[in-house]
Amino acid sequence: MGGELGSRVASLLENESWVGSIEGIDADPPRRRLRRTVFHRIVPGQHERTVKVVTDYNPHVVVHIAVWEPHARAATGTARSLTDDAATSILGAAAECRALESIVVRSGIEIYGRGRGSVTRPSEQVAPNPTSEYGRMVACIEDTANAIGKRIGVSVGSLRLATVLGPHVPSALGRLLRLPAVPFSMLANPPFAVIHQHDAAEAFVSAARQRIDEPLNIVAPGAITALQAIRRGQRIPIPLLGPEWGAATAFTYLAGAPLPDHVREMLHRGRLADNARAREVIGFAPSTTTSDVIDQLYRWPSVVHTPAIKQVA
Amino acid sequence: MNNTAQRLADVVSMPARSVGTQAATAATDTVRHLRNWTTNEVDDWGRDDSFVRRVWSLSHVRWDTSVGGIEHVPKRTGALIVVNARRFALAPVFAAMAIGAAVDRPVRFVGRPDIAPLGPMMQRLGGLLPVEAELEGALRAGELIVLGASPTRTNLHTGVIDHQLVGSAVAAKVRVLPAATMSVPLQRNARVEIGAPIRLRHKRRGPLEELETADHLQAHINAVLDEMAGTMTGTPIDWFPNSWVGRI
Repeated sequence: MGGELGSRVASLLENESWVGSIEGIDADPPRRRLRRTVFHRIVPGQHERTVKVVTDYNPHVVVHIAVWEPHARAATGTARSLTDDAATSILGAAAECRALESIVVRSGIEIYGRGRGSVTRPSEQVAPNPTSEYGRMVACIEDTANAIGKRIGVSVGSLRLATVLGPHVPSALGRLLRLPAVPFSMLANPPFAVIHQHDAAEAFVSAARQRIDEPLNIVAPGAITALQAIRRGQRIPIPLLGPEWGAATAFTYLAGAPLPDHVREMLHRGRLADNARAREVIGFAPSTTTSDVIDQLYRWPSVVHTPAIKQVA
Repeated sequence: MNNTAQRLADVVSMPARSVGTQAATAATDTVRHLRNWTTNEVDDWGRDDSFVRRVWSLSHVRWDTSVGGIEHVPKRTGALIVVNARRFALAPVFAAMAIGAAVDRPVRFVGRPDIAPLGPMMQRLGGLLPVEAELEGALRAGELIVLGASPTRTNLHTGVIDHQLVGSAVAAKVRVLPAATMSVPLQRNARVEIGAPIRLRHKRRGPLEELETADHLQAHINAVLDEMAGTMTGTPIDWFPNSWVGRI
């Protein structure tokens, strides 16, 4: 719960009447003030410590958000190993808890893959067929959680999030779009959808409250193409045809916005998903549309002035 | 002297000056249109409404399309509209745009390729991949979709209708409507005639439902095309019966 999403979920859970105590684990401390949440700072590799904290706490519901998107906060290899370590330790430890009733894990719509002939806007019924490293990472988490759920007889729900964007959310796509000049595929320029961090956090709270037992797509309404996003942000669009993507990837890497394969795939093949099932099952409808999320991304202030809760002078 | 010349120039617009102003205005307008176009939004399926409207306006240069039977099209829920298609006529595309303009709802069509640049361009027009899961998802989401039968050489009869794609409408439990499209290469008039929803006499539990629905659709479209007696070119080549230069 150290990241933006985890901190927000913890803060929302604190306001829920059905939630008794809350404990959280992360490698980084929480980004916001939490009043009744107990935080444990544990690095994902510390398996024994994680198991001890989780089993001592013996939770009813486990919300597993520890997924490192490649090149959001860590390079692809590191992100993969951190995600694997966290999933193994936390979900493994959760399986030892007698009180456990439900597991909610974070996944992504990258799980559907964007191979040739794949469905443009897949629903949860479409079989996962990941075609990127991030897609395979989240598929692995879902498989692990489902196997554990089946073994110990608890409900397992996975929230397949679109790319989480918003002010202060580390994201490879967000960083790319905020470059002064942004490359896009001139021949394809396909549409994609994203989700605002606050909407994603609310989806986790709703899913935990309902103890969901199935995967759900969490996607903001509407879609936008890369060119439209670039134009909304008043950046310079750089149309690319194909071979020059290698050079563009190297350039964006040097500019501080590395392009992982799932973002490159999105720019070439698009990424949409059907979000109707989430409304049916947990009554969740995102409040921010995709184009509004993009607008907020570009309005990202460099300094945020937070007013004091109590004025003392 | 200078002032006099300036005043004269203000009153009398020289041709060069006028052309220059017009060119500048046209360029500014083009840039403004391009700017507006590139900042447009696409919908959940990637359809760009303003792009569709532009293409539809442009198509008026060539086609004068009329639509009949729009009372059969549901106002809010989804429906699958199956049309006959003459080869190279892009009947599903134009039928989708014509019906969309008539009912004032976005109408999509089945049959976009999954290869750039044609696939993404057709996606902007409302194209869907010919994949059952894709159709079913769109129909469940309450979309109107036009599906073309396999293309034929003439407007005399319809081609085979893919029963598996029709099955997605059966699975989504939405109306299936037949529609006959008629267009002639040498005339401007084109017509889309939508029929009443297909209702099977016997309720089927298995895959027979989509097979029989597809057969009924084909029979219904053929009946409407027969009523139209095939579309003629309006030229003496119509006098050659049953030949490729006759009815088209």
